[in-house]
Amino acid sequence: MNKVGIVSFGSYIPRYRIKIEEIAKVWDEDPIEIKAQSQINSKSVPGPDEDVATMAVESARNAISRWKGKEKDLGAIYVGSESHPYVVKPTATIVAAALDVEKSLTAADLEFACKAGTAGMQMCFGLVKSKMISLGLAIGADSSQGRPRDPLEYTVGAGSAAFLIGSENIIAELEGTYSVTTDMPDFWRREGAVYPSHGVRFTGQPAYFKHTIDSSKGLMEELGTKTSDYQHVIFHQPNAKFPQAVARMLGFSKEQVELGLICKQMGNAYSASSILGFANVLNHANPGDQILLTSYGSGAGSDSFSFTITEAIDNIRPYKYDTQYYLNQCEYIEYGKYVRFKGILR
Amino acid sequence: MEPPKIWREKRGKYLAMGVECSDCMIKQFPFTEKCSACGSENVKEYKLATTGKVLHFSTVTQTTDEMMGSTPYLIAIIELDDGIKVTGQIVDCNLNEAKEGMDVRMVFRVLARNGSEGLIRYGYKFAPI
Amino acid sequence: MVKRNVFIIGTGITGFGENYEISAGKLASKALTRAIENTKITKESVQSTFIGSLVSGSNSQPSIGANCLRESHIKTPHVRIEAGNASGAAAFHQAYLGILSGVFDCIAVVGVEKLSDFVNAGIVERILSSTIDYQWEFEMGATLTSLYAILTKAHMKEFQTTKEQLAAVPVKNHKNGVNNPNAQFRKEISIERFLNAKRIAEPIGKFDPATYCDGSASVILASEKFILQNKDISSKVPILGSSYASDSLALHHRKLLTELNASKTAAATAYKMADIKPVDINVAEVHDSYPIGEILAIEDLGFFKKGEGGKAVEEGLTEQNGKVSINTSGGLKARGDPFGATGIAQIIEIVEQMRREAGKRQVDSVNYGLTQNVMGTGALTYVNILGEEEVKK
Repeated sequence: MNKVGIVSFGSYIPRYRIKIEEIAKVWDEDPIEIKAQSQINSKSVPGPDEDVATMAVESARNAISRWKGKEKDLGAIYVGSESHPYVVKPTATIVAAALDVEKSLTAADLEFACKAGTAGMQMCFGLVKSKMISLGLAIGADSSQGRPRDPLEYTVGAGSAAFLIGSENIIAELEGTYSVTTDMPDFWRREGAVYPSHGVRFTGQPAYFKHTIDSSKGLMEELGTKTSDYQHVIFHQPNAKFPQAVARMLGFSKEQVELGLICKQMGNAYSASSILGFANVLNHANPGDQILLTSYGSGAGSDSFSFTITEAIDNIRPYKYDTQYYLNQCEYIEYGKYVRFKGILR
Repeated sequence: MEPPKIWREKRGKYLAMGVECSDCMIKQFPFTEKCSACGSENVKEYKLATTGKVLHFSTVTQTTDEMMGSTPYLIAIIELDDGIKVTGQIVDCNLNEAKEGMDVRMVFRVLARNGSEGLIRYGYKFAPI
Repeated sequence: MVKRNVFIIGTGITGFGENYEISAGKLASKALTRAIENTKITKESVQSTFIGSLVSGSNSQPSIGANCLRESHIKTPHVRIEAGNASGAAAFHQAYLGILSGVFDCIAVVGVEKLSDFVNAGIVERILSSTIDYQWEFEMGATLTSLYAILTKAHMKEFQTTKEQLAAVPVKNHKNGVNNPNAQFRKEISIERFLNAKRIAEPIGKFDPATYCDGSASVILASEKFILQNKDISSKVPILGSSYASDSLALHHRKLLTELNASKTAAATAYKMADIKPVDINVAEVHDSYPIGEILAIEDLGFFKKGEGGKAVEEGLTEQNGKVSINTSGGLKARGDPFGATGIAQIIEIVEQMRREAGKRQVDSVNYGLTQNVMGTGALTYVNILGEEEVKK
């Protein structure tokens, strides 16, 4: 069997942050209580000239510039997001042009709430493994929407992670992937609606927890792996509590979750959420480490992946513009500027 | 914002693709089919350096609707590492933080949005290193 | 030296300012009609009409000459000439060539702009974007004001030009404008007002740029032959030099930002045509759309050494009857700037000086006068030199 895996990766998180206290002040809420619920301290906010296309391009350029291969070999680009700048007109084509890889390739925009990024990864793995393409690019990016005053307003951030998927010079070899999918009305946004709606507590146990746990378990059963085999495990991060609770339920330790848990500083970047955590792990993991990644997208489904880090990872590390670089680059803004940047002021 | 124009200019705006003369080796921007130095038509695409220095800068507080979203913003003449000079915005930098001589790198941003239903123009800007 | 064969025989101008009641065509017609009346020739004697205009107003009639001539009840061929903010001077220069070539003996030149219709923010910035590099400056985020701010900073850095010296330019021009009945602003403004204003593009303050407005100005050009044939013509002011030069459209393609090379080149040719030196100029109207514009102009035109323009203004050397009287009309700053009309209004000011009809603005010596009209950041500059009025024998 030919091997398939990640050959490079890149992150992008916008520079602006808003603190939970700053939002709570506007609605006269208790920030301590809100922070206790989500364990998120601040969330990332795109600048007025940023959107999913710009963030996707920046993360993809980071993936390419740290890597020594030829981007002209790209046979597929998939951009998963629930906030594509155009409803009709793909983000993926803008990415292709901005990487100068037009034109003999396939491309598409994907949407599956917060797991469209991992859906693109699965598609690329399949295409590479079946030798239909030699190199694929999967991006998960979001400029997340949260209705003012909704609990989501405190947690939804923005960012992008990009993965080059191929069969040569693999830095994280794919051991297996497993998904669960059901029809689940936990979170939705109708055509033309500005903000998503959700089922509040219904988004928890039967939605996030059930799918994440079933998918993770399903993969481990299929591969015959156990929790102790993994040095790092990353789950979707709508807040910091949920992934930690899932880890506990599955029998993972705090240490196994920690490196991939980046939402405390930047919030939930929807399609980029779990994979930005994964990118942060890749920046630090050692050759030989096994990594479990499980995304969750409302509606609902989870994609799980098991990877082993190879020696080749040190060929693309260290890299200046890694996940930590963007986490460190931050400027806190006030609520007034936040509503302006988000385009809420019209 | 005219669709053919956005399409035609994407290599210049997205990639900062200029031209290098194969005869006199001079690099220039924007793209031209004839070398501006020696007139040769023997030119090939050349991608500008993606890092450089701020030579001159100022601020923009008033401009057209499609670009007002980002005002006030910094505008600069940048000398790229290959010696080519371009005009571009400095982003991720507070207005009082800009300096002549500051090192910057090219980033991909929204240049303008034609209302909420029209096209979006993307292109290069610069961020401090 | 070029033969003295082209003369300005009449002028007409409207008040500059906000003229909501009247269209661009009507505005142009007013100036044209006044110019013809001023010459004491018949309408029928005019062989062609050259119109300088950047946008022609909000009724989107690029061929604004048709509207102007319909309003004036004049039938001549007409053409609109566009050279950004220098459209007026461009039309004038083309008319000059038309007569110099012998093809025409009498041409009406009209500069017009109607900008008060553009009440929505950003429209004038879009219009002005056509005077800088639209694709690689404007679309990348630059505006005319921000580029002038860069020019200002470059001069300040290189020559230690101060904010006070820069502010001395509009202070002087507003003082001059008090005596110009056609100026938009006829009020002195204190230097503190300029220095304390909010910065719109550091170091340019809110009150530093000239204000765009409505206005039209017209001159009638004629050949020596035409003047001899028309006994009623009482005044003729000779055009001794008329030239223009270009520079790269984008500032980032220029080697030096401390000069407008097009001004230097155009002036050199004009001086040569007139066979005079910069020191011979007594009075000049220069493009002070931003304070640095006037400082660059008085240096590039050779009135003061490079780098000493700021000091010269501050020391009063450019005031009325100073070493050289600059912008006795109030300049673009006090007169208001209806783009296409500005170049012609500058010429009219010099004609009035050459005729000694400038009233309180009159300067003592009027051997030679000069106008300088700039497009954008100096991608095109027009320079004209006029001589003292020749009284008809």
